[in-house]
Amino acid sequence: MEQQSSYTETELIDGLKSHSNEAYRYLYMNYRCSLYNNILQVIPDTETANDVLQEVFITIWQNIDKYDATKGRLFTWMLKLTRNAAINKTRSKVYKSQQKNDDISNYVSVIEHNRNEQPAINQIGLRTQVHRLREDYKNVLELSYFEGFTQEEISKALNVPLGTVKTRLRNAIIELRKQFV
Amino acid sequence: MDINSYISSGIIELYVMGMCSPEEEKELELLRRQHPALHDAVLQYETELEANMQKNSTLPPADVDNRILQSLDALQTPVIDINKNKKNRQWLRPVAAASILLLAVSAFYNYTFLKKIKNQELALKSSPGTAATLPAADYIILNKPTITPVAMYGVGTHAICRCTMFWDKSTGKMYIIIHHLPKSSAAKDYQLWAEVDGKPVNVGIIKDEIRGRFIEMPNVPAGSIAFTVTLENAGGTTRPTVEETYLSGKI
Repeated sequence: MEQQSSYTETELIDGLKSHSNEAYRYLYMNYRCSLYNNILQVIPDTETANDVLQEVFITIWQNIDKYDATKGRLFTWMLKLTRNAAINKTRSKVYKSQQKNDDISNYVSVIEHNRNEQPAINQIGLRTQVHRLREDYKNVLELSYFEGFTQEEISKALNVPLGTVKTRLRNAIIELRKQFV
Repeated sequence: MDINSYISSGIIELYVMGMCSPEEEKELELLRRQHPALHDAVLQYETELEANMQKNSTLPPADVDNRILQSLDALQTPVIDINKNKKNRQWLRPVAAASILLLAVSAFYNYTFLKKIKNQELALKSSPGTAATLPAADYIILNKPTITPVAMYGVGTHAICRCTMFWDKSTGKMYIIIHHLPKSSAAKDYQLWAEVDGKPVNVGIIKDEIRGRFIEMPNVPAGSIAFTVTLENAGGTTRPTVEETYLSGKI
């Protein structure tokens, strides 16, 4: 790859919003590894993960006008797009039939699955950090962050009050922050 | 509200990572405008999260890099909407005529000088049908001087799709490599059409298993000037469904 010039975050955002070819190449070269790692945390199958990575960058290109810098950093926005794309992929019929997953609405099986099988990830990443937490924290973060369930859905799945789910999620994510490198 | 206990409650972390309820999100967005300390704490967490994620990274395969960079480049191609601005602007006509002339000249130069280079690049670098992975016999045909590559680009929402056709002037044979085309469902098939005398002529079904391979297409009619790929009901059809055009390219 050719040497890329350096951008400040504001310059990069301007370049992206004006759909500059160079800005997108820079964005891709700088963020592909961390976003790819994030996809692999949800989708261990590299072929599918490769497709999701492509989808993510095309979605960024197509939706850059919707990015509002006053609401957060560019990376946070891209991370949310990436997480949504990966979760949507795991919920798609094609992916489910490939993985022979249980019905995703069967929450208990999801939890059992997570308890019995470590996700097949070779990469160190957020999921590894989540798995270092105590069991009840790990479970709520798994369901919330990696499976994309709402707090209400988790409350039903775990058969615990919504208030407990909220408290547990907040405590879990504070603990997770301590794992950051 | 005690803003400090709000800040340390874990809500910021959930908000940044997209795990809040819509009500919690709204509340935080309102509060951050009133409390600079909250705003700063959000930015602080975002920065920490980004640093953490950038350290946990995995390099995608090089062919994936090429594929994605190419699809991003392809999105740059401007779309000219001829129906826009059709209002009464007579004075613009000479300007428009001059622009069209310039565009035509530029297009001609692009066509002559860039097409061959670009097409070759596309054919050689794209994955999975990269030249490096092709059997030697295919590679020999691909590199014949009489081969003219015809790049086929994704249409509309299918911008990421790519394939290249190769026309061998010396033998009249036509070949195809599918670089990227989503798998069709069991009820659907991709169908290749050639344009002859302004009319579409069926060339045949593109089977899923030919992806990434260098395949001869035997039924390409003489006098073809352009090609399209449409998604049709399984088994194909006699007329292309224009709305379902995935790829198109001109010789």
